[in-house]
Amino acid sequence: MNESYFKQLEETLYHEQLPNGLEVYILPKKGFSKTFVTFSTKYGSIDREFIPLGKKEAVIVPDGIAHFLEHKMFEKEEGDVFQQFSEKGASANAFTSFTKTTYLFSSTNHVLENTKTLLDFVQQPYFTEETVEKEKGIIAQEITMYDDQPDWRLYFGAIENMYKEHPVKIDIAGTVESIDKITAEHLYECYNTFYHPSNMTVFVVGAVNPQEMMDFIKQDQAAKTFEAPQDIQRFFPTEQPNVAFEKRSLQMDVQKPKVIYGIKSTNTDISGKEMLNFELSMQVAIELLFGRTSAFYQDVYEKGLIDESYSADFSMEKGYGFTMIGSDTVNAEQLAEKIKQSIKEQAKEGQFTEEDLKRVTRKKIGFFLRALNSIEYIANQFTRYSFNDMNLFDVVPALENLTLEQVMHALESLKDEQKHTVFTVVPFEKNGNE
Amino acid sequence: MFQQFELAQGVKLYVRPTEQFKTINISFKWKQQLTEEQAAIRSVLANVLQYSNDVFQTNAEFRKRLDDLYGAVLYFDTGKKGTHHIFSLNAETVNDAYLSNEKVVDEVFNLLHTVLFKPKLVDGKFVDSIVNREKDQVIERIQSMYDDKTRYAQQRLLENIRPNHAASISANGTVKAVKAVTNEQLVAMHQTILTEDNLSIYIVGDVNAEEIKEKIASHFPFADRTLELVHDVEVVKASTENGFLHEIQDMKQGKLHIAYRTPITFFSEEFPVMQMTNGILGGFSHSKIFMNVREKESMAYYASSSYSSLYGLIFVLAGIDANLQEKAVKLIDEQLKVMQEGDITDLEINQTKSMLSNQLKEALDSARAQIEIYDQYKEINESFTVENWVAKWSNVTKDQISQMAQKIEKEFVYFLSGKEGAGNE
Repeated sequence: MNESYFKQLEETLYHEQLPNGLEVYILPKKGFSKTFVTFSTKYGSIDREFIPLGKKEAVIVPDGIAHFLEHKMFEKEEGDVFQQFSEKGASANAFTSFTKTTYLFSSTNHVLENTKTLLDFVQQPYFTEETVEKEKGIIAQEITMYDDQPDWRLYFGAIENMYKEHPVKIDIAGTVESIDKITAEHLYECYNTFYHPSNMTVFVVGAVNPQEMMDFIKQDQAAKTFEAPQDIQRFFPTEQPNVAFEKRSLQMDVQKPKVIYGIKSTNTDISGKEMLNFELSMQVAIELLFGRTSAFYQDVYEKGLIDESYSADFSMEKGYGFTMIGSDTVNAEQLAEKIKQSIKEQAKEGQFTEEDLKRVTRKKIGFFLRALNSIEYIANQFTRYSFNDMNLFDVVPALENLTLEQVMHALESLKDEQKHTVFTVVPFEKNGNE
Repeated sequence: MFQQFELAQGVKLYVRPTEQFKTINISFKWKQQLTEEQAAIRSVLANVLQYSNDVFQTNAEFRKRLDDLYGAVLYFDTGKKGTHHIFSLNAETVNDAYLSNEKVVDEVFNLLHTVLFKPKLVDGKFVDSIVNREKDQVIERIQSMYDDKTRYAQQRLLENIRPNHAASISANGTVKAVKAVTNEQLVAMHQTILTEDNLSIYIVGDVNAEEIKEKIASHFPFADRTLELVHDVEVVKASTENGFLHEIQDMKQGKLHIAYRTPITFFSEEFPVMQMTNGILGGFSHSKIFMNVREKESMAYYASSSYSSLYGLIFVLAGIDANLQEKAVKLIDEQLKVMQEGDITDLEINQTKSMLSNQLKEALDSARAQIEIYDQYKEINESFTVENWVAKWSNVTKDQISQMAQKIEKEFVYFLSGKEGAGNE
């Protein structure tokens, strides 16, 4: 078992890769009552084209299948897995993102037994045509629930504006039509390909004895048999550097227009330290330009162009990335114009000083230290960093070493207006519709 | 859980020294009886104090100072608990121990003092342009509820079953009440909060209780106050026995919200029994409603119940196909009925006990939750401990649960859906 101590944070991380390829990380936290265990596969909604395990030809599977599979993992021949967790006082959950699927539980008691339940239910698939059909009604309701959420539609509208080909533009849950095509056979095909231990990570954080937990997981895995690991071949279409649409909008039953100004990033074929530095540079750049202390924010707040829903973020994974600045607004056009102007005028040499950089990195370090109080935050973020060959605990030193030059470089990448897009959700026009 | 100090009459300090967190959390909570008008004034005041003070020329300057202090968090907020309105000032700062040679904690105390005691006043009034801007912000916050169908449906249900009652009054007030707020009312409310409101101050983190007490007393010299608060919820005989309302909006899903009344509140002896009863009915993913409405019938993605103990109300919420409203209501009715008839398994009881205690223990892993939970439970008993509550749930029997289920009466069904479901009535 490898041990790494992060002095500044006073945290010790334990790690081991098991013979079947499974990565196991354990982070004990003193003073906490609960333990969080997550079991994740590097498989999400964008993985729709791949060569199935043991096959030679690539297949394209129905949209929404990774999420559908996540739902179906909870049902077993003997019943619902939630029942077992409840009996041992554990709250279980799962979520599917663009790039990963995570199963988890948290409990303050019976942690080893609950870990066993987690490992077993994720590693013992049970799909029948009947149970697959039954799930379609539940997921259809989940999809319609999201369809009624204007912020969700706004977010996906902005992504669809940016991406012409890449499957990040497809809703994680798919559509009512696409999930209708899913069969038990599809699920087994995806499961066998992506749920091999060599494509997965277990992360444990909280009130835990690291040696005891590691031994427990090792023993459990040694008693199970898996096929030999195989490299997974995934295929993604070539994406153009510019946005697919400059401007689009959607009418919904909302009180006030909602806007997202999106900027597509093309520096996405990176990982590890390079990704960590680029991601942090972008976040700092966005904070300088659009954060609450920026001239831009002061101006639009005082003019009443934004409200409490305002946000400005950068996010990326291997293959895609984007900046989004958004708010509910009385005047979407004017706000978008201000954002555009702000980039044009400020994303250049001399606009920001070392002192500005220092202030923003301090703020980010403070945010990170606060976040480390939350076991949920650590559990949710750690695996995401690890799947991209980064370490969550490198964030503070990386921030401290960030240079103004790196940040300027990030700011520069925002300037190409062919990568800009505006998506709005607007209220129905009053006449004609009622 | 917390060490207590009475700083003045009506001003209490609660400190929890712990090494669990890398930060220090501070929360001031001013309480007053909840009314729509007061809620509106207090919400606007929270925003005005948040965005302007007499020390920093602009809000950006103020925020830069917070950023310099390792992104210290400092915000005003409003909320409600039962029949009380809570005006709060909260801060979270990195503990100096994690920084080399820095003194951020004292600086944060100075800033708290600034936002509270040094408002930006011109001729004894707040700046009109700021007041108007912040009134707009609060109005927009209230209106944004309309875009969130679940919150909207729940608010409509509350307005129908408990009009002009603490249960339905929003902590932000209404659009109309916010529009009516005047600058003079804000100035007066600021004084009321500083000198008359019942005040509890909470501090959680790696601190020395005596030292922090001195620090608070010297930074914030609050005087005695004598406001007597009553927390009894007015028992309303429902005006809407078996009421039903179907409203239509442009949307796809059907939002089913059902209200039940019960005489058991947070302050009742039988409160823990009702928590168990609600847990078995629909509080968890092993509960009857989830197992039957979602897992068995595949009718919903979410289907659950919640117990609003301060108002003696239980709500069942489900997102369903707009054409299945009647079927869903019938199915939910059946779940309560079987519980009233005693159809409750030992497994369900054990699962619910485990989940309730896990939920409480887990919540206490967050400093803010420690403050919120203690702030409520101290109303019953200031020596609140997790073990006491776990013991209360452990003693609950099947018969008690069944009897408790009989004290749950359905009062109103509210259904919000798109036009598709219109033919259903």
